[in-house]
Amino acid sequence: MKTDMPLSRPIRLFVNQTEELLDTEIALLRNPEADQNGTLVDVYTYNIEKNIILFPPHYTGLLKDFIIARHCVNLLIRGAAAKKSRYLVCSFTGDSVYKGIHQIYIDALKDEAKKAKKLPVQKFIRMLNILYTNFNNDINEFPWNPIANAIVYHRIPQIRKTQLYYLMKEGKMDMDSMMEFEDIIPRRYFVLSKSMFYARDLYLARILPADELMPVINIPQMKKFNHLEVKEMLTTRWTQTSWYQSKIFGDAMLDIMEKHLQNIDWNAEPCLDCFHDIYQIGVNMTNHFISYMSMQGWFVWETTKHLQDAQGKKAEYEFGALKKIFGDLIEKSSFDGDIGYP
Amino acid sequence: MSVTTKDVEQLIKKGRAYSTRTKYREALAYYEKALELDPSNPEVWCLRAATYIEIGRNEDALKDCEHALSLNQNYADAWSKKGYSLYNLGRFEDAVHSCTRALALNGNDASAWYIKGVSLDELGRTAEANEAYGKSLELEIIFDMQADLKRGGR
Repeated sequence: MKTDMPLSRPIRLFVNQTEELLDTEIALLRNPEADQNGTLVDVYTYNIEKNIILFPPHYTGLLKDFIIARHCVNLLIRGAAAKKSRYLVCSFTGDSVYKGIHQIYIDALKDEAKKAKKLPVQKFIRMLNILYTNFNNDINEFPWNPIANAIVYHRIPQIRKTQLYYLMKEGKMDMDSMMEFEDIIPRRYFVLSKSMFYARDLYLARILPADELMPVINIPQMKKFNHLEVKEMLTTRWTQTSWYQSKIFGDAMLDIMEKHLQNIDWNAEPCLDCFHDIYQIGVNMTNHFISYMSMQGWFVWETTKHLQDAQGKKAEYEFGALKKIFGDLIEKSSFDGDIGYP
Repeated sequence: MSVTTKDVEQLIKKGRAYSTRTKYREALAYYEKALELDPSNPEVWCLRAATYIEIGRNEDALKDCEHALSLNQNYADAWSKKGYSLYNLGRFEDAVHSCTRALALNGNDASAWYIKGVSLDELGRTAEANEAYGKSLELEIIFDMQADLKRGGR
């Protein structure tokens, strides 16, 4: 491990164990540009010499430790997949981008027909591209989140209170995201996006025994959660919000999640084989979600190199897809493939 | 305010800005200029110590903390950074002592609680370590929530 910073003993042991199992090195770095959830830059995804876990500099204690632990789990899963078979991710091709964007276009048209105020064409086109990209990112991240959290919970009990705070924060952030675009995004995709996070939160609330995850009650800002179990806390949040529709889809996604993850022995002796099995379960679960969301053909399981190359060609793929849908109405000169939300 | 004091404050500000961006060599240069102008300023010694810690020069950090404390025995940050450098040097018992001094002066130093926790953990004093971790986590959560509010979170 390459770091001079202090780490709590259980996390240091876990990082060392990860390095030993994968026969690799992990560097821990504070970085002002790092994402709030930290960033894992690993040798199984990028052509680099060693793994790096980056985290924001203001996390100096157990929050930093939790971020490191969760990324170590992600690294273990990716590493086991790469060493035992192949580490593949959901990538895209020209054809798959067309399938995805075309489906979103059809669904968006149905929504637009009911709207009094139509979305301007340019914004409408941008929305198609952005939604497709968002779902590609989500499908590569969301199924692995409950797996990583459950592993950290079982393997590192000392960090459970930190985990509780982190999960609440993460859940809230995901619930609040995209809200300003609620009227722009086709209802189906807005609901599906929220459903993923609903399923994740509920799964974690069920698998992590609530009595051990009681909030730290002497934190003034958390007083409102006094005497609430985690499960109650998370379910209450979802049922009292405007995302109630997401609950119906989310419950179905939760069933999928439970069906796939029920066979994992979270307390098994850590080894490459068991993390490879977990990777396979994650892949199967991802395929099940893709099927449930009727997104078959939107993505292709490919190498990380393929995904990176595809991201380089994203604008070209998007233009090709839009040209097929809109014909000559789409002009390359007026198409900007790399833009923010509408 | 004398011109020198103003200059020192400017140098500290620049040093902090570089340090925040993890540009430690540049930060050190500003702190050294500040020390040339005002070697009796414990804050600058402590800031240079913090920068030394970041680049792994823990012996130098320890010396700077001791210098800062010789100028002001009640300087909580200097005790805290001293604890940090002692932990990095593997002197866990001394680190616990320094962090305890830091926390007696400022109980809201999340980092000092954490360093105390990891040092106690290394000494096998698990129950005390857990208590220190608990305090560290409480403070870290409060600071994180405040930071989120500042960033415009709800």
